[in-house]
Amino acid sequence: MTNTYIESFPAEAKVVRAAFYSSFLALAIGGLFGIVQTLHRTGYYRFMDSADYYTVLTAHGVLLAITFTIFFLVGVFTWAVTTSLDRPVEDIRFTWVWYGLMVVGTVLTAIPIFAGFTDSEMSASVLFTFYAPLQGHPLFYFGLVLFVVGTWLAGADWFRSWWAWKQEHPDERIPLPTFMVLTTTLMWYIATLGVAAAILLFLLPWSLGLVESVNPLLTRTLFWFFGHPVVYFWLMPAYMMWYIMLPKISGGKLFSDPLARVVFVLFLILSVPTGIHHQYLDPGIAEGFKFIAMTNTMFLLLPSLLTAFTVVASMEHGARQRGGTGYLGWLKALPWRDPVFAGMALAGLMFAAAGFSGMINAGMNINYLVHNTFWVVGHFHLTVGTAVALTFMAVTYWFLPQVTGKELWSRSVALGQVVLWFVGMTFMSNAMHRGGLLGIPRRTAEPQYEGFEFEAAVGSVGELDAQIALGGALLTLSLVLFFANVIGTALNSRSDDLPANEYADTLSGPSDAPLVLDNLKLWTAIAIVLVIFAYSFPLLSIIERGGLFGPELTELPVSIGPGLEYLSTTTVSTVTTAGETAIAIIAGVGS
Amino acid sequence: MSQTADEKARSETPEHDREIGHDEFDPIGTLTLIGIYFLILVFLWFFMYFVEFLGNDPTVVGGTLVFAATGERLR
Repeated sequence: MTNTYIESFPAEAKVVRAAFYSSFLALAIGGLFGIVQTLHRTGYYRFMDSADYYTVLTAHGVLLAITFTIFFLVGVFTWAVTTSLDRPVEDIRFTWVWYGLMVVGTVLTAIPIFAGFTDSEMSASVLFTFYAPLQGHPLFYFGLVLFVVGTWLAGADWFRSWWAWKQEHPDERIPLPTFMVLTTTLMWYIATLGVAAAILLFLLPWSLGLVESVNPLLTRTLFWFFGHPVVYFWLMPAYMMWYIMLPKISGGKLFSDPLARVVFVLFLILSVPTGIHHQYLDPGIAEGFKFIAMTNTMFLLLPSLLTAFTVVASMEHGARQRGGTGYLGWLKALPWRDPVFAGMALAGLMFAAAGFSGMINAGMNINYLVHNTFWVVGHFHLTVGTAVALTFMAVTYWFLPQVTGKELWSRSVALGQVVLWFVGMTFMSNAMHRGGLLGIPRRTAEPQYEGFEFEAAVGSVGELDAQIALGGALLTLSLVLFFANVIGTALNSRSDDLPANEYADTLSGPSDAPLVLDNLKLWTAIAIVLVIFAYSFPLLSIIERGGLFGPELTELPVSIGPGLEYLSTTTVSTVTTAGETAIAIIAGVGS
Repeated sequence: MSQTADEKARSETPEHDREIGHDEFDPIGTLTLIGIYFLILVFLWFFMYFVEFLGNDPTVVGGTLVFAATGERLR
């Protein structure tokens, strides 16, 4: 008998497994929509109407960026808290309640999105960012609220475990995995206030017809208040895996527990006051406020570079213990044939490239060059699409046996899968970045224009499209292999010969970390103060200029019928007004 | 598909040739790798100048640089 997670915590393993399977279902549907878009945009295969492209794009964004990532991470966080505190959750019924709430929220959000494919009046093809005046069905916003409330309760569950543990261990340091969960959860609580305000105060009442209009700049700003830190909500669990799993799998120990704590504290205090860097091109926000957001963003490079150092040093420790030598020769001593290691290491390598394109996005002047172009899509397919998604898929090969008690179906297929993802993303993302530099727009079903050609200094648009389609095809194949492995493992019989549920030891442990690092109240207070500094003046000036509920705004329901009706009425009224003005001018001149 | 217990033991239990403690460990390989990454970033930073400014029409900053270098104002 080995000491797997399912043996130590059978009830919790069921919840974690349910969360993982929910996340994989979202990944399957979202991934399918990915290849549909890839082929449609590039013009290789168009079987649907271009108007439906935006419904596909909404489903792709919401299912992958919200559902896949967050379901997976609540599973990982529950594992991390129970394992590192070595205690079951306080009340498993409560754990099932928050999981259930997240499922109900997802279903309610998905219904109006998928209704966009039918002739019904219901639709929510508002894309992942749901910018007003695009207006989705109320169910879309309501589902999102339930989903987020589910994650809040999940956070409460983790805090409850920690408080209970602290009563019994008053003088001990918070174990590192739990520390990471708690700081990330605190960041998430602050961040989601923005999206909760945007939906509950403005978008939901507006879509229900309770208020006449909204201030689009205000709801956009509140969205990005949440929209930037949400990327760290995805990334922190991936970082956690790099800190506590990768060193062990490399054969070594985590280089420094104190540094890991510093990194998570920095993310808690710096993640939120940066959202305006997504709005460098929004008129109505003063350049000074954008400059402050840029400065905060550049500070965020610090914890990521600290992570690069700590994680690589931990891998090097493992490699040297395995007999690696030399300046770079130690890299050969790493366990590259282990899919869990290879997947995470390749994900980290891609993240280094994403670091550069992220710095470009973050710089105010250079951002103007790439804003709203395909470059940005290339960037986040490296971050959430590889650093996060590939890490999640790689650790799945470690977690699945832990939560099912069954042996992984095939390690070779798993290794092929992670390598294929890396290669596919190299083609697709590189071509997307280059396309963006040529000015090819994002969020466009048919970026081909009559009488206009994008000029490429090197290569051609045709060559970029071919790379994108090839990359998309490889990624789809990689997903098929991933699901084959998940299903094959689920169908396997129980095994008694599995690795134990453990995470990495440290070279420099928690006793080396200053006590103040564990003072969560202090860091939360600093985070809130920074948010107030960064956001109160921009929000006040937006409200002062445009009003809380904005100027008169005609909503644009995003189903095709009403959309066309909207266009025709506005066109007719504009033409009529223009006509009347012209007649009045002519009459005036004539008289 | 399953593999022999021997194969699995090899792939899942990291082999240790030696135990390296906190004080013996000198992460020189990490310094090398991060140094290479830093050089790549610096190169890309310079390369960006050509992509952003020289690939497009003159901008305020580009114009100032040209003025500083040649004394001629761009229109």
